[in-house]
Amino acid sequence: MVKVAVLDYGIGNLRSAQKAFEISGAEARLTADKDLVLASDGVVLPGVGNFGKCAKALTDSGVRELALLAVENGIPFLGICVGMQLLYETSDESPAAQGLGLFSGKVKMLENAPRVPQMQWNQIQLQDDSPLLRGLEDEWFYFVHSYAAEQNHLESTTIATCTYGSSVIAAVQKGLIFGTQFHPEKSGKAGRLLLQNFLKICERPE
Amino acid sequence: MSFVIYPAIDLIDGKCVRLYQGDYAKETIYEDDPISQALEFESDGAKWIHLVDLDAARTGSLKNTKVIKGICEKLSIPVQVGGGIRSSDTAKLLYDMGVERTVIGTAAVEDPELVLQIAKHGHRVAVGVDGKDGYVATRGWKVTTDLKVVDLLKRFESSGAEVGIVTEIKRDGTMEGSDLEGLTQILGDVNIPVIASGGLGSIKDFYDLVGLQVNGSKLAGVITGRALYEKCLDLRELISITEDPEHVELKHD
Repeated sequence: MVKVAVLDYGIGNLRSAQKAFEISGAEARLTADKDLVLASDGVVLPGVGNFGKCAKALTDSGVRELALLAVENGIPFLGICVGMQLLYETSDESPAAQGLGLFSGKVKMLENAPRVPQMQWNQIQLQDDSPLLRGLEDEWFYFVHSYAAEQNHLESTTIATCTYGSSVIAAVQKGLIFGTQFHPEKSGKAGRLLLQNFLKICERPE
Repeated sequence: MSFVIYPAIDLIDGKCVRLYQGDYAKETIYEDDPISQALEFESDGAKWIHLVDLDAARTGSLKNTKVIKGICEKLSIPVQVGGGIRSSDTAKLLYDMGVERTVIGTAAVEDPELVLQIAKHGHRVAVGVDGKDGYVATRGWKVTTDLKVVDLLKRFESSGAEVGIVTEIKRDGTMEGSDLEGLTQILGDVNIPVIASGGLGSIKDFYDLVGLQVNGSKLAGVITGRALYEKCLDLRELISITEDPEHVELKHD
């Protein structure tokens, strides 16, 4: 069974991510233990609420270094919602806070949005062939967010977008680092398929 | 924003029931246990589940938490819960169980600050406005007030409530169609997204709701229970209609 570590850094309700991985057939642990995390086949960074608070919690809990170490060791890594935003350097939501800086660029307030936050199910459009999104063209996912990654013209990491006023980055990939702005753990069947895709990546790193 | 279908599970004593026009003496108990019912809705493609703790709606204290928690644990779609939520502590209890959105009914009338308070904590909250002939009813629909549904919804336009859920009691559980007249007035007068509840019985009723439009504003969704349980409507078919806008345009005159 694929072992997934859901990083526990003392913010909000992280249970739903762990539970969704269990339903998808993984052995999922909510943990911040270094040995457990580095011995796992995949690492998940969930996130809810405010970028600055999450960034601070990352530092305070020691999970920041652990996350970077997991990536360095080549363990497939998935950031969800604010967890995806934390892959970037900074966010306009909390300009003083530092993300993990694994992706270059920053996170910005949604532009031209009919309402902020975007709180709804929305359809994604695939922008690149990614093992994470196999079989998920035009599928519907559950979004709750006011900020999103800025289009980066130097580095192409976008694997899916959705339309909300304008085009919004919905999912990203760089090597074995993945991020989804939406919540696969709350996106029913499509979400489960995405998590299963991630588990396959964890089984056989490409 | 697409039109969302909220399959409803109404709970009394841990069981899945439907009432007729809100009358507790006219309940139908459906056999499936609520958790497997919720899982069936999810596997049919539901994007949300709407739960009502009918015991709590009447008494003001939650009675079906075990089932609600079980549904949140087993499902991977957002769940909203209404019925008897009259304090922020009760709401917090539900959010901690994994509930995505609470629906505040009676308390929204009697203690409007509560909605603001819950929303301020960053939680998703809806106002549940139940009406009889256009006037607000509270306390498990036992009390009708002299407050108009439209006026109550207006109060919440900038309260942090993201959506109003409007139930016409005379239609609820009847499958005789929604109160289109009332909904038309609400869409025209009120500046908050509205989910309609009560009365859906046929595919025509459904198209009526999806197609309803007043000055460019449309319904955000519908809550439906009995029509699904009685197999008058097929959830998968309804969902496929909402996911294909062209289909909606074609079928609706």
